Amino acid sequence: MKDTIRDAPRAGELICSREAISPMMRVDTVVDQLFRKQQKETLALVEHRQVHGLAMRNKVFSILFRRFGFELFGRDPIIAVAERNPLIVDEKQPLEAVLDLAMQRPLADIYDEIVVVDGNGHYQGLLSVKGMILAQGNVLANSVVQQELALTKAREMKKISEIKSQFIAHVTHELRSPTNAIIGLAELLRLSPEGKLTPEMEKQLALLSASAVNLRAIITNILDLSKIEAGRMEVRSESFDLITLLDEVAETTRVLLAGRPVAVRVVTAMSELLLDSDMIKVRQILLNLTSNAAKFTEEGEILLRVTEERGAVLIGVTDTGIGIRDTDLEKLFVAFTQLEDAQTRKHEGTGLGLTITRQLVHLLEGTIAVHSHFGQGTTFEVRIPRQSGEREKRL
Amino acid sequence: MKKRVLVVDDDPKHLLTTRDLLELSGYEVAVHNTPFRTTEIVQTWKPDLVLLDVNMPGLAGDRLCGLVRANGNSRNVLIMLHSSNDEESLRESARHFAADGYICKGDIAGLRRKVAAALGC
Ligand SMILES: Nc1ncnc2c1ncn2[C@@H]1O[C@H](COP(=O)(O)OP(=O)(O)OP(=O)(O)O)[C@@H](O)[C@H]1O
Ligand SMILES: [Mg+2]
Repeated sequence: MKDTIRDAPRAGELICSREAISPMMRVDTVVDQLFRKQQKETLALVEHRQVHGLAMRNKVFSILFRRFGFELFGRDPIIAVAERNPLIVDEKQPLEAVLDLAMQRPLADIYDEIVVVDGNGHYQGLLSVKGMILAQGNVLANSVVQQELALTKAREMKKISEIKSQFIAHVTHELRSPTNAIIGLAELLRLSPEGKLTPEMEKQLALLSASAVNLRAIITNILDLSKIEAGRMEVRSESFDLITLLDEVAETTRVLLAGRPVAVRVVTAMSELLLDSDMIKVRQILLNLTSNAAKFTEEGEILLRVTEERGAVLIGVTDTGIGIRDTDLEKLFVAFTQLEDAQTRKHEGTGLGLTITRQLVHLLEGTIAVHSHFGQGTTFEVRIPRQSGEREKRL
Repeated sequence: MKKRVLVVDDDPKHLLTTRDLLELSGYEVAVHNTPFRTTEIVQTWKPDLVLLDVNMPGLAGDRLCGLVRANGNSRNVLIMLHSSNDEESLRESARHFAADGYICKGDIAGLRRKVAAALGC
């Protein structure tokens, strides 16, 4: 609907004649113009750019050709027999508004031409009502065509985006199989009998495992993002122990460190903490945070701290890594954004981790915050309701 | 006596790594590279746990799960789906076909942990 209004022409664009004559021109001269030489419908009477009236063929005709009319008025100025109160509109008025005004006139005057003036009241030209009706018909027809086009386009976009998510689902699946094989084979090598591997080989193997595990995480992120975009990410709650999950995440994080001197610890006084939430998503959130911590920390520690709050749990992931400048904090959650200069970047990644993390946190009806000291370390803090998703909603 | 695990998967690399990893954890492992004849092997070899891949030519592992269970003698065998599918769809399949759980391929720690938990050792 907005389109119709925006695309509707303005009075100034529909002017059909810009001609004007002086109000003092003699009636017989004007009659010549109206009936004999030029067959004009209407002439505007303008002096010093001000409109004084309209000389319209049919109206002038009915005055002059009544008995004696021509004899009486022939030498007078045309203003004497003109319409002196024509409808005047501003050139910026939209077509629809002008038509409304035109139609409000007495029946006999409905088809009278309309005078268009600019902001200073200076004469610009005449509008013909018939012309405007035609134009409006076009606008309506166009807006119907445009709506049809927009609908078709929307349908196409939806189809393309469906194809896109199917493609991503397919590709990520194909990527996963070989990645998982690499992870398994690297682990088997690592388990080779004592003494078969040199310390050098062990280091290389740790890097190989870390890279493969990291690749697997990137694939998961890409699939997750595509699901989120397509609105196909559903929350499924189940009861699980958060402490067990944190231990598991800590273990995966250690693999990612590939032997760097960083301790990963779960800090809590609780031995068990039951959550009613979507375990897969909570794990994904935590892994995204700890994988960043692992990526940006050369030495020191990564702490997974958990505390209980009323109806929620608070999980902090703290590292002793490179830290984040205050001015960079707001860029963190923007997709494909990385703080390091692309040319000199030392760390791998796609810049999707935090974007997805935040979306997942919101799906679980939680919040995420970050504090950091540049050069000292970073803490991400996630608050998640102890109950979220369908199970709670079903109650 | 060692607990027995049967791994059914059409990908030989996966059969190799899973067998070695589980043997190193102390289980007796048999592998089978097609869904066909799985019910038969379950009956004769009597595994304690069957790990089923999901995407196999011929018969999807999640449906195979129901077939194995339908056989009177193997109704109580533990069955877990073990696949490269994304975890959320694996969770759905396991639920839908009443498997005893699922394990994501590539999650080795998860493999060890879940197998140990299922077999109680
Ligand atoms: N713990 C952290 N310490 C320092 N910088 C961080 C930390 N976490 C995130 N950042 C900065 O924020 C950027 C965005 O993080 P995000 O997780 O979204 O992407 P990524 O880690 O670069 O790639 P991906 O997670 O997709 O593999 C990072 O590139 C890094 O510059
Ligand atoms: Mg990241």
